[in-house]
Amino acid sequence: MPAVSLEGVTYRYSGTQAGVFDVTLDIERGELVVCLGPSGCGKTTLLRLIAGFLKPEAGTIRLNGADVSALPTRTRECGVVFQAYALFPHMRVWENVAYPLRVREVPLDERRRRAGEMLELVGLSGQADRLPAQLSGGQQQRVALARALVFGPRALLLDEPLSALDAATRVSMRDEVRRIQREHDIATLLITHDQDEALSLADRIVLLREGRVAQTGTPQEIYDRPADAFVAGFIGRANLLDAKVIDAESVETPIGRLATPRHAHAAGSALRLLVRPERIEVAASASGENVFAARVLRDRFFGATRQLEVAAGNGRLEIETAMRDHVQSVRVPREAIQFLNAR
Amino acid sequence: MFLRWVTVAYLAYLAVPIGLLLAGSFGELWLNTILPTGFTTRWYREVAVDPSFRRAFASSLAVVALTCAACLGAGLPLAYAVFRAESRRVRSLARVLYQMPIALPPLVLAFGFILVFSSDALPWLGSIWLLAAGHVVLALPYFLQTVVADMQRLGLRTLEDAAESLGSRGWQRFAHIVLPALSQSILAGLIIVAALSIGEFQFSNLVAGFLNRTYPVVLLQAFYGATGFACAATVILLALALIAAVAGGLTAGGATRLKTQVA
Repeated sequence: MPAVSLEGVTYRYSGTQAGVFDVTLDIERGELVVCLGPSGCGKTTLLRLIAGFLKPEAGTIRLNGADVSALPTRTRECGVVFQAYALFPHMRVWENVAYPLRVREVPLDERRRRAGEMLELVGLSGQADRLPAQLSGGQQQRVALARALVFGPRALLLDEPLSALDAATRVSMRDEVRRIQREHDIATLLITHDQDEALSLADRIVLLREGRVAQTGTPQEIYDRPADAFVAGFIGRANLLDAKVIDAESVETPIGRLATPRHAHAAGSALRLLVRPERIEVAASASGENVFAARVLRDRFFGATRQLEVAAGNGRLEIETAMRDHVQSVRVPREAIQFLNAR
Repeated sequence: MFLRWVTVAYLAYLAVPIGLLLAGSFGELWLNTILPTGFTTRWYREVAVDPSFRRAFASSLAVVALTCAACLGAGLPLAYAVFRAESRRVRSLARVLYQMPIALPPLVLAFGFILVFSSDALPWLGSIWLLAAGHVVLALPYFLQTVVADMQRLGLRTLEDAAESLGSRGWQRFAHIVLPALSQSILAGLIIVAALSIGEFQFSNLVAGFLNRTYPVVLLQAFYGATGFACAATVILLALALIAAVAGGLTAGGATRLKTQVA
């Protein structure tokens, strides 16, 4: 039985076309699902629906199998971490963490003890008597995490938890979130618009587009087998080529004729091809299968890699390579070509 | 260098009248000289035993207390309602409405009160309640402004959402989160209200009855008498206002320190 289960959940903000539509999603115990998408795609709406701040117009939300669609937030027992932390400014760190226990009328001694344990888990034992304002952003985020977990919630919901942190803290907090989530073995939904965060953290990614699920899958599935051009373009960088089928093993594209893996598309039909920039090779010689003369339009140096934009035939390609040489021709390996549903 | 002189000049400009008032209140005689001559505490003693000043002092304190109580009682729910309004348009409309009394000359308000409350149907002109009611109209915008701004700065809405998700009930959220988080700005707002109410003259002068004239109203009469007496009476008012301002400044500063972490 999944810890969190959404079935056909729909919510529309009145007077707009925005919202989430017919979202179906399961999160197993201990699983970390990252909800990813461009801003305004309904990610936070989805989280607010699960937490109970919004009530779905249609569909069912279940927590541990029980239908909670109509229950108020207070009784849903979801630990929520907000983007701006939302720590109570007038309470000390330990009081913040112990607050869920206070409203559950846990005795003071036990509150203190359990808050202390949680603070130790997130590595903030020494800061228990401070006020939130005296902590750094990363520390505040840990307090928020401790507070959201201390009462043993049914699910952990994280709304862009790392976006307010500076770049270095963000990367180390990623591992921290993952470790704490693993230790609690809790079903977790993390909202982000940062694809690096999604790819590196998630057990599974749900990609939303205009309120609908564009694709669900492991990070590798989403990256290697995107469902359509939107997913391919949103996750990682992508060369998307319009192609016309010539025969079962070749297509005509703006950059020239390409030999492809064997396919069943009818000759003459229009297709979309995906080639990831890092799969394109810098060719040593000017001849061979799928080798094209290339003229460098842009060359960005990132240390470990270079990102190039080249003109080939009547088209353009993005390339990511570790090679330092001058690029004169490129090779598109046959096995690097994927067919996408034309949209 | 220039900035420093401007600052010094401005401070002097502020301080000189106060200094002269102080000097006058302790001076024995002040006639056609720049500074008074002699030293005495007689004027303060006279103010202290003057029955009309004693009564005015009591009236002022009563009006201040009533005004503060009404601002708290009506202002806090009002501020919360404005802050929580769903529609952005309602929020900005409410803001314009509640700030309108700031632009309203107290004189106009007083004329309105005189028109309405001198009738036989509502013969309440001159009562201390009516005086406080007028002060509420004049001071409430400042209270609302202070508290609503603090609610926004705190992100009170998210704090409440967080509390709710952690299992907190409505009254618990109010008692544990809303009130304590806002306590500093509520206090600062009330001090502004008190300072405005203590010093208010225009409205009070027209609306106060003879028996419950407030301190500033009675003060005006003093200037028809001995200069030293008038100065001493003014210094007392000044001290009251100053205490309120300093206390307000301190609590507002405390509030800011407490809440700097809000993104």
